[in-house]
Order: sequence, then C-alpha cells, then structure tokens
Amino acid sequence: MATTTAAISLSSDLMSSNLSVSTDTTLMKAGTENDSLDQARMGYNKIPTGTSFDLLDATTAGVDKAAKVLIANESEDETYYVTIVIDAKTIGRLYGGPDGSGDWMFIPWNQDDATHDLEVTATTGTNNISWIVFHEGETLPTQGD
Amino acid sequence: MATTTATITLASADMLTDVLSFSTTSTLTTAGTSTGLSQTSGLSRKTTSAASAAAIQSVTLFRADDALNSGANKVYLKNLSTTAAQFFTVTIDQEEIGRLYAGDWMFMPWSATAGTKRIFTVTIAATWAAGDTWEFDGITLTAADSTVANIAAQIDALNYPNWITTYVATEATIIFTERYSSSASYTAVVTADGTLNTSGNGTANVSSSSVGAKSEADISIRPSVHTDMTIEHILFNE
Repeated sequence: MATTTAAISLSSDLMSSNLSVSTDTTLMKAGTENDSLDQARMGYNKIPTGTSFDLLDATTAGVDKAAKVLIANESEDETYYVTIVIDAKTIGRLYGGPDGSGDWMFIPWNQDDATHDLEVTATTGTNNISWIVFHEGETLPTQGD
Repeated sequence: MATTTATITLASADMLTDVLSFSTTSTLTTAGTSTGLSQTSGLSRKTTSAASAAAIQSVTLFRADDALNSGANKVYLKNLSTTAAQFFTVTIDQEEIGRLYAGDWMFMPWSATAGTKRIFTVTIAATWAAGDTWEFDGITLTAADSTVANIAAQIDALNYPNWITTYVATEATIIFTERYSSSASYTAVVTADGTLNTSGNGTANVSSSSVGAKSEADISIRPSVHTDMTIEHILFNE
C-alpha cells in the first residue's frame, strides 16, 4: 500500500505570543484508515491572462471521495495571481512571490457533480503554477476518435 | 511588520517508482504586496453536536464581512476526529469544496466576497418629551430631554446587536447599517420604524433606506455525524 503524507507548518509573530502549528495527515481513501490514496496526477503550467482554464475536470468517479489538490503559484512577481474557482464559485487568489515565496493551497476536492471542475484564471501576467492531485476511483477515458 | 509563513511538505516513498518529495513555503502577504498579513483569528476550536442525525446543522466558521473582499486571506482547517469515517463537508457559500476526513487538514486562499449591508436612516422629529421611549433591535432609548438632536445622539450612543450607527453631532438623523450582510437577499428595505411611545407627537420615521444582498463567500462546515466532532481553524486576513 502506498503511503503519502502531507504536512503543514504555520508560523507567525503577529500576535503577542508566537503562533506555531504543525500537523500532518496520511492521505487515505474516503472514510478508511488502512487504504491510502494510490493514484496521482501532476503538472506544471504557464497560465496566460484573460481566459479561465479547467485545471482539473470533475469526474463522476470522484463523487464523495477524498481527493486532495495542491496548487502552488511559482510566479516570481508578487502582483501576479491566479483566481481559483470551483463550479463557478470563487475560492480565492494565489499570489506569486519572489524566491519561491508565492502562495499555495491544499484542499480536499469532492467532485460532487460534473460541473465541479477546478478552474484557474491568471491576472496581471502569465502565471506559472505547479499542481498535484491525489485521488481514487478514477479510470482513464475510453479512446475517442 | 509581522511575518507569517506556511510550509507544506508532501512525501511518499512508494506511490511512484521514485520517491515523491515536494515542499514549498509561502510568506503570507497582503494582496499584491510584500507587506505581511496583520490580522488573524488565532488558533480556535469548534465542537459540533446535535440531538440526532436529522438535527445536524451547518456551522458558519467565517463570515465574508470579517475579511477584506478580494484580499489575500488564508484559511486553515483541521478535522480533529480520530474516527476514520467522520468528516466535515466544507462549503463556501453553497458550493461544496470537499470533505475533510478524520485527521485531514486544508489550507486555502479566501477571496471573502462580501454582500451588501442594509442601510436606513431614522429622523427624529416633531415634539418629544423627556421620558419618551423608542425601541429597536431589542434596545430601548429613553429620552433624557426634548431636544431632537440630543435624542438622536442618545440613539447613536446605544449598542445594537445587529446594527451599527453613524451620527453627526447636532443633527436629528441617525444612519443604521447592518453588522453583517443579509443572510438572504431582501427585496424590501427596512420598514419598521421601531416602537415609539411618546407623550407628544414625536416621530422616529425611516426617512431613507437601501436593500442588502447576501454574502457570496461565507465558509461553513457540516459534520457527518451528530455526536461530538471538533474542528480546528485559523483565519489570516487583511
């Protein structure tokens, strides 16, 4: 059984006492404790401005599953950003940053209907993003014409 | 300037033929700048429970009104449950993002698209007397004297649970603004003038008002079971 872990470390000095949160999770299939997510896709894309793109297409095999998505904006310009949208609902913006300090996100993704695609739109300039989706249940589409 | 960083490390020794190792660190800044985010909710916990499965309700963790619209806000959530099948369904407005199973965490940007707050203006007029009362939003004003500007100032000085007030000294009008965008879009403006008891012919009429619109980005969770489940959360915002 494949084992994949995702760890986060949050650190901040904006309060009187330093905030420090560290935790990790093992990526499991929905509702299980001994059956890990065992499929993944990943990519690196240059996203031009002006058009909304489907980064990840929802599939019925992903309904009520425990897919996880990581997206990182690797643009070096802090004014560049991509807007993340799921099924026409704006989630937020991932900004770029110098020396690899740009924003990233890591979310569960329930493809609860066919329109639950994960979309990205770049603003200010061409944004560079890297992404990984860990999933279960998905089968490759049948060959088309 | 405060410095807040968020680091993710993904690791798998056996999913692929080669070892998967990915790590990146983000410095949380305000939108489009190098200035660090300066506000946070701090680390908090919320335990959900209901009398039965049929009574399970969603819980709003973050209201879009509390963060900057289109800001570089960030949200961290973790399901502290240890029962593998238990999950929180995380939604933004009415759109499901995904299920956060036991032990899972998530970290995401949040645009916090707020709605529009209802606004109305009350004008204090005609003949009032000391001791007259006016009640609105569960709060009662008792006039200290008969001067309408003084009564308006008194109304402004009170604390209303669902509204905030704006008042310009010596004037007889008070502007009421909702604390939060309407939970649903109202098609009518505020029509209630409050409950007035006057010994004269004093009035406290709504002289102008505007409709509101609901928030488009409140973040809510819905537990999968009615027994206790606990979620940990942090908001970093501007």
